[in-house]
Amino acid sequence: MVSIVFAGVGGQGVITVAMIIGKAAVMEERNALMTELHGMAQRGGRISVDVRIGDYRSAIIPIRSADLLVGFEELEAVRNLGKLRKDGIVILNRRRVHPVSMTIRKMDYPDDLIREQLEKFQVIDVDADGIAFKLGNKRVANTVMIGALHSTGVLGLREESIIRAIQGSLPDKLWEVNMKALEEGKKIVPLQAARTK
Amino acid sequence: MPYDVLLGQEGKKEFLLGNEAVVRGIYEAGVSVASTYPGTPSSEIGDILYVLGNRMGIKFEFATNEKVALEIGAAAASGGLRSFVFMKHVGLNVAMDSFVSLAESGVRGGMVVLSADDPSMHSSQSEQDNRYIGKFVKSVVLEPSNPQELKDFIVAAFDLSEFAGHPVLVRSTTRISHVRAVVKFGKPREKNEWNYRKNPSLVLIPENAYKAQESLWQRIVKVSKSKYANYFNRTYGSSDTLIITSGSAYNYVEEALSKLMKEARILKVGMSFPLDTEGIMQEVRKAEKVVFVEEGGPFIEEQVLAECALQSVSKKFYGKSNGMVPYSYEMDVDRVASSLSRVFEVDYEPVQSAGGAPNREPVLCPGCPHRATYYVATLAMRQKGIRSPIAPTDIGCYTLGFYDPYRLGDFCYSMGSSIGSSSGFSMVAKEKVISFIGDSTFFHAGIPALVNAYHNNHNFLLVIMDNSTTAMTGGQPTPETSPPFNRVDIESVVRGIGIKDVFIIDPYDLKDSLETFKKALSSERLSVVISRRECALEADRKKPLSELKVFQVNQDKCTRCYNCIRNFSCAAFYTEEGRVKIDPELCDGCSVCSEPLVCPFNAIEVVE
Ligand code: SF4
Ligand code: SF4
Repeated sequence: MVSIVFAGVGGQGVITVAMIIGKAAVMEERNALMTELHGMAQRGGRISVDVRIGDYRSAIIPIRSADLLVGFEELEAVRNLGKLRKDGIVILNRRRVHPVSMTIRKMDYPDDLIREQLEKFQVIDVDADGIAFKLGNKRVANTVMIGALHSTGVLGLREESIIRAIQGSLPDKLWEVNMKALEEGKKIVPLQAARTK
Repeated sequence: MPYDVLLGQEGKKEFLLGNEAVVRGIYEAGVSVASTYPGTPSSEIGDILYVLGNRMGIKFEFATNEKVALEIGAAAASGGLRSFVFMKHVGLNVAMDSFVSLAESGVRGGMVVLSADDPSMHSSQSEQDNRYIGKFVKSVVLEPSNPQELKDFIVAAFDLSEFAGHPVLVRSTTRISHVRAVVKFGKPREKNEWNYRKNPSLVLIPENAYKAQESLWQRIVKVSKSKYANYFNRTYGSSDTLIITSGSAYNYVEEALSKLMKEARILKVGMSFPLDTEGIMQEVRKAEKVVFVEEGGPFIEEQVLAECALQSVSKKFYGKSNGMVPYSYEMDVDRVASSLSRVFEVDYEPVQSAGGAPNREPVLCPGCPHRATYYVATLAMRQKGIRSPIAPTDIGCYTLGFYDPYRLGDFCYSMGSSIGSSSGFSMVAKEKVISFIGDSTFFHAGIPALVNAYHNNHNFLLVIMDNSTTAMTGGQPTPETSPPFNRVDIESVVRGIGIKDVFIIDPYDLKDSLETFKKALSSERLSVVISRRECALEADRKKPLSELKVFQVNQDKCTRCYNCIRNFSCAAFYTEEGRVKIDPELCDGCSVCSEPLVCPFNAIEVVE
């Protein structure tokens, strides 16, 4: 049984990624639930998606019960930390989308707050945008995230299911570069683990 | 094709959104006609039927409002076809007038109305519990708990509806319609044949209505006495604590119990009107404590308590009526656990969330034409010396004009309420009244209010923000969409009413729009500005790659006057150490910010 929170901003593809994980679980005949929350805005509002794999009835993850938090945006990751177990893992794409209300007041992005809050957890930094850019297609950043997420081993899903789920959800013409992105993503967790040792 | 999975064979299992399960359900049930007006959390049903309807043999259309949708369904059902009408909870208020009559008349073909309620009002103006409406009009009320049940209950609801000759209301909530889960498919059925007979109970003149009233109660009794009375209910577990629950609230009960390490007998109610009081009272009699856990109001609770009073059964009750279970906002495991902790007299304190993250208000998209409209409207008012107008607004993306920096949104109750309230304000207020409504909302409920305003000679400025789509629910067509539909032209409608001062602007052209707004504001009678520009998201979908542009701030030219962020405030702007920047990932390339009316120093330039 595993519970994962995905958090980001509208337009980042948060829901697509969450759905790939859910679909992969279902392909392995496992039970999966997913629920999303987004406000009125079509783009730029906050989005969080809960995915639970296993014998659950509640799609909403209770407070302090998520095993993983996948953050597509720093502030939104911090906003959802309350759902994460004390020993849960944060996988974070260091992307910043400034809330308009802060911009109007000419406030900088709240780096101190973010550092302070994240300190309490094990954080795996994923430069997903950077890696995707190097691979020549910015649109595969989320596949890098999936690779990193998968290589934590917490999901307990087979790689082939994840690949099949990606196949069904992302455009075919990005297939090769997506597979490269997945490979790059998979390297991140072992690398950072080695570094902390 | 997207959604093709929904046509899959019997026995297939798919990972479906509740709303997708609904579509599969009506396909399996042999529905012939379906209609809606889009509203979250039910919108995806319409999006899918719009694409798949033909292949499923379902005549589907987006109606101008929910009342029209319901009447479309009622006509089909009166001739023996199965019909399905769906909407968000507040949409049922609009359909209410005919819904009451529908229950009175009864149906020949099965008819199911789905209401997607929105506890915690994630995207709504209220969290009204439409089970009460179901009971009020006396339709049958079913409450599934998850996508699989949503599909299965809908199929069974059609059987029940045809068995009793009565409409069925299926009540979903956000955490069912917007939950994804594994759904196993059943077999699609044959559709009914059109078989119309004249029927006086469809003509509710007093004499006929008098008779229909009698038959209405007979139909309800028929359901109560049938196999359906407890068909949708389930009871399990052994304990002298009985938890009566239903809908999405049911999903949280077991996990909450396991958090508290307690056990209970669970009675899951699937049909909450008419309620199987006989079966339920048997359970209540055996129990020592009776707990009610429901999503919304104490709907089942009140019915059971009334029955207990009738039968002089006295137990320890825990529910919303005595404050043991919270009345407002959606349930979850933590809230149910904390309610149950009072029943079992143990401690449960859910740890509070990590706080401190600054809020992220919902925003208009980069490139959104509404932003430009609000910007020029504000500028025009300032130049005309109009300091504090009263600005009724309406339901759509543009409601976000309520937020900084525009602050144009002083009244917003329901679809179309901007225009009705503007009549009221202009009748008594000393302030200038300027109100805002979108195209789809205008068609939905704005037109009668505008006729009223013109006829009664009210004086205000109405801005119709025409982006030719129902944007907030995901871009559904509107009466302007053509082909294949006939296009209804807003300007002709407005002029047809008789209104003389009608102005058309393209909000991307700030300079021209400003002059036009000033003219419109000078008018001493009802005037209308139609601000016409396609929704940025829709336009983006059509734009070829070669036309994609991105703008940036030339730091050498920028004087840091901050007009752009303070007053125009595109969501792609941000500041860093006092510098104004544009996030290239977010910029839509609309170029509006580069106009001198936003940046007087021409510092915003296209990236070459
Ligand atoms: S409006 Fe122009 S000059 Fe003023 S802060 Fe913005 S970019 Fe700089
Ligand atoms: S061009 Fe300017 S106004 Fe348009 S989306 Fe880009 S930053 Fe926003």
